[in-house]
Amino acid sequence: MAIFNDWRFWFVVPMVLALGTVVLFPSGYLVWMSLTHWIVTDPERYFDGVGNFRVLFRSADFTSAVWVTLVYLVASTALMVAFAMGLALALSAPRTPSALRSIVIMPLVIPPVVAGFTWRFLMNGEMGFLGAFLLPGLGLKMNMLADPTGAMISVVIADVWSRAPFMFLIFLAAMQSIPRDYYEAIRLDGANVFQEFLHVTLPMIRPAVVVALLFRVIDAINTFELIYVMTKGGPGRATQTLALFGWKSAFQRFDFGLAAALGVVMVVVTTVCASIAYRRFLRPAT
Amino acid sequence: MLKMLNRAALAATLTAGLTAGLMAATAPARAETTVNIVGFGAGFAWADLFGPSGTEKTQKLLDFEKKEGITVNMEYADEEVARQKVLLDLVNGTGNYDLVMLGSDGAVQTFSAAGYLEPLDGHLDKAKDYFDAAKVYKPFLEANTVDGKLWALPYYSFGPGVVYRKDIFDKYGITTFPKTTEEMEAALKTIKAGLAKDGITDVYPLTMRGAPGEEPSLDLAGFVFAFAGYPAWFEGGATTPAEIKAKKAKPIFTGDFKKGFETFVNWAKDYGPPGIATHTWVDMMNLYGQGKAVVLLPSAINGFAGIPGSEVPAVKQFSAYGPSPIGPSGKPIESFWTFSVGVSNFSKDKDAAYKVLAFMTSEPVMEDFATQIGWPYTTYPSIMHGPVLTAKWPKETLDGVEAAFISADPHYFPYIPELNEFMDKIGTAASEAIAGTKTTDEALAELQSWAEERMERAGYYK
Amino acid sequence: MIRRRIHDDGPPVPASVRIARLAFTIFALAFVLLPIAWLALGSLKTRNQALALPPQLIFTPSFDAYSAIVAKGFLGAFQNSLIIALSNVVLTLLLGTPAAYALARMTGKAQDNLSFWVISVRMAPVFAVILPLYVLFKALGLLDTRVAVSLAHLTLTLPLAVWMLLTYFRSIPEELDQAAMLDGAGPLQILLYIIVPIARPMLASVAIVVFIFSWNEFLLAFVLTARGAQTVPVAVASLAGTMSFDWPLIAAVSICSMIPALIFVGFAQRHIVAGLASGAVK
Repeated sequence: MAIFNDWRFWFVVPMVLALGTVVLFPSGYLVWMSLTHWIVTDPERYFDGVGNFRVLFRSADFTSAVWVTLVYLVASTALMVAFAMGLALALSAPRTPSALRSIVIMPLVIPPVVAGFTWRFLMNGEMGFLGAFLLPGLGLKMNMLADPTGAMISVVIADVWSRAPFMFLIFLAAMQSIPRDYYEAIRLDGANVFQEFLHVTLPMIRPAVVVALLFRVIDAINTFELIYVMTKGGPGRATQTLALFGWKSAFQRFDFGLAAALGVVMVVVTTVCASIAYRRFLRPAT
Repeated sequence: MLKMLNRAALAATLTAGLTAGLMAATAPARAETTVNIVGFGAGFAWADLFGPSGTEKTQKLLDFEKKEGITVNMEYADEEVARQKVLLDLVNGTGNYDLVMLGSDGAVQTFSAAGYLEPLDGHLDKAKDYFDAAKVYKPFLEANTVDGKLWALPYYSFGPGVVYRKDIFDKYGITTFPKTTEEMEAALKTIKAGLAKDGITDVYPLTMRGAPGEEPSLDLAGFVFAFAGYPAWFEGGATTPAEIKAKKAKPIFTGDFKKGFETFVNWAKDYGPPGIATHTWVDMMNLYGQGKAVVLLPSAINGFAGIPGSEVPAVKQFSAYGPSPIGPSGKPIESFWTFSVGVSNFSKDKDAAYKVLAFMTSEPVMEDFATQIGWPYTTYPSIMHGPVLTAKWPKETLDGVEAAFISADPHYFPYIPELNEFMDKIGTAASEAIAGTKTTDEALAELQSWAEERMERAGYYK
Repeated sequence: MIRRRIHDDGPPVPASVRIARLAFTIFALAFVLLPIAWLALGSLKTRNQALALPPQLIFTPSFDAYSAIVAKGFLGAFQNSLIIALSNVVLTLLLGTPAAYALARMTGKAQDNLSFWVISVRMAPVFAVILPLYVLFKALGLLDTRVAVSLAHLTLTLPLAVWMLLTYFRSIPEELDQAAMLDGAGPLQILLYIIVPIARPMLASVAIVVFIFSWNEFLLAFVLTARGAQTVPVAVASLAGTMSFDWPLIAAVSICSMIPALIFVGFAQRHIVAGLASGAVK
């Protein structure tokens, strides 16, 4: 076979094997679980066809989690892109002290669990600096953790704080690699800074933005610790995303079949969406 | 130059990482009998055995190990993660943990039904020197008894009660302690009005817990018990799978369950702090300890937890204990729980495991625990009336706490394998109703239809 | 590496834009620093000071929390985290670099599908893969080893590394490879002696990103190991779960947990920017 004589094959094989071990078996196992009636409260474990999926699609938890996930995904991603882009634009200016960049990326080294605790404490409506002191002082009466909207806003803010620095780094790198001649050329045509951004910066960093978005969307769908620590998915189910619902199903309600079914649904939907995004934006050699 | 250094540093760290990783991969071999445990609260639970860091064995433990020829390995973790590890171990029959931590609010019921635990009745006589069932408060054992068998021994445990600020009660003219739920609500109303009149906005009449999930359910089930007079979850108050099956008892969350649920939600909304819909016991404890709550109920222990560390003088000086209010049915608002430990059915040496368990729940160990935390809670009457606690608490407090233990009905909620799911669903419904995303009726209607379907699916009504 | 700057000597930026930029920078700094300052202050307070409102800004700092870290044996958690994160960096780079290089030199469907497959590995939610991973490592006898954790972390870090490197390698002209090939060098030699030296800054950046992701991840790290393998995030979480809510200690551990990662990031911040940037230089 010609492929065995191709060095590229041998270069890729170790990675494929390593990832394959950790991915292929679990994927197969997950699918098998999703078709199995497997709940710890019932000693019997048996093949149940699409039974778990039927229960899943009919549960109110699932419907609410889909909406919560969508709201969270769109809100946090939009804010994060805006914030990261703003930072990248502001800090890519000449003579920006590099200390500023170092400060801005500090949240990157704080584990999401810790970020969650910190923001939970800050936003606490009775004892937190923001929730009980600064925001009420500014006339904002909403309880930032116990009000359904407030809780969602808090979680989104904490998430932007925690993950935007990574996106900022990618944007910044992409912006700094734009050859200067491009700007000189458009300036000769009398363009202002906004036109520069629109006609040079944005098109040039598009691939970086798409890659960052792709990773971001996947991360957002799977965000767990941060939300769990801050609100436990509450109040009620106001911040219970699919990832939290799946976690609950498996480890608090002991229904592994149902959790697996949800896992399968999530993987399929994410893969389809990502694949469309990939083919649409990334395939033409970027 | 700097760059070179950086590279060298990078290379050095990478090599170090690789070697360290390889070294770490080779684990030491095991000798003699070992018993592995996973638990939470390093420096809190069993600090007398594993030290304040949870990593150094104390002389007491070393003596035990030497005497019995057993090595005890403790692994501390965050509660959620620790529970998850236990579950993975049990589900896969790994047997990595000989002793597993449980709770009388779901884990005992589910894991015993699933066949993951060793019944302890046959072991009780084997290590009587360490654990003698006759010496502890009976209800704590009953709480861990399912289907007539004992599945776990109690460690840290509590019953219901009220911790309140006597000075504020006095200030607003509440001179007799409210004994019934009606009187309690009237008192809360008076306090609320008084606080408002005095322009105090950062002190709340009541603190409870309303976070989604199982958190509020233990207390909420107590409200239901007090208002209905029985565990009003299923028709006829059926509490065991056998009873539910025999009577084909349907859930009654929109029936007798409702009054207690509604009261819990209304009290939380009307008298609780604004953030109560996401509050856990930590928030209850902190609010009370910071002097920002007047009444804490029905899990009084969370109030006692907040008192010792408080720097608000009035909290230390004027906190008092009162019995849990009695509902219209004549039963008190219950809140009863034991953090208990069981023997894994997959343990390779169940006798050794039981021996360690008996030691870990023995009188001397519990006495050290009482010394360390100093709250008026213990599983042994002898410790309750012993020198440690009598030196710290007035007699009426200790007697009150004890009375709440003895008169408690640990089975104030059904003992079914699905309990965990129900606790989670009920708590989340309460959180929704408190936050106002749903009305009480909507939340209960959804709970009812979920429960009907769930019980149907579990084959109760075949 | 050639580092170019935008606007170096372009037309003057309008004052309004400069003011907006300044305002945004100030806002962003405040936003980013507030929680960190809160943590830092909290770590120097007593438990009750930390809970007090309005917040006390002037107080006698207490270093009790920091000495408690040493006393309570949290240093072990730092060691565990360091070992897990560093071995993950090594594994990721060893596996990812050749693969990314090969992918960069591929065209057509194979390259297409493979790189998509790599990213799709990240798509499974953790709650769904924990049990299967546990079953797998139990079967392989790898349960309770750090190898298992490193392998599990690969699903998070390898896709990221491969994608970062892939775009970078594509920007290195293929003529370089061909010239070396004419001199008789094989693919491995080209990778080792030509590509890797050029890509060193980028590799450093990838190493840092991988380090951070592995350092911060805690569920897998904890579930797949037993006694004594507690990592820093797990230690922080377990502190919050005890009956005392020791915020100063939580804060102190959090602040300390930043230090190793900050050192790692600090000395290479320039590499990250330069490395990522050079990725797209034509």
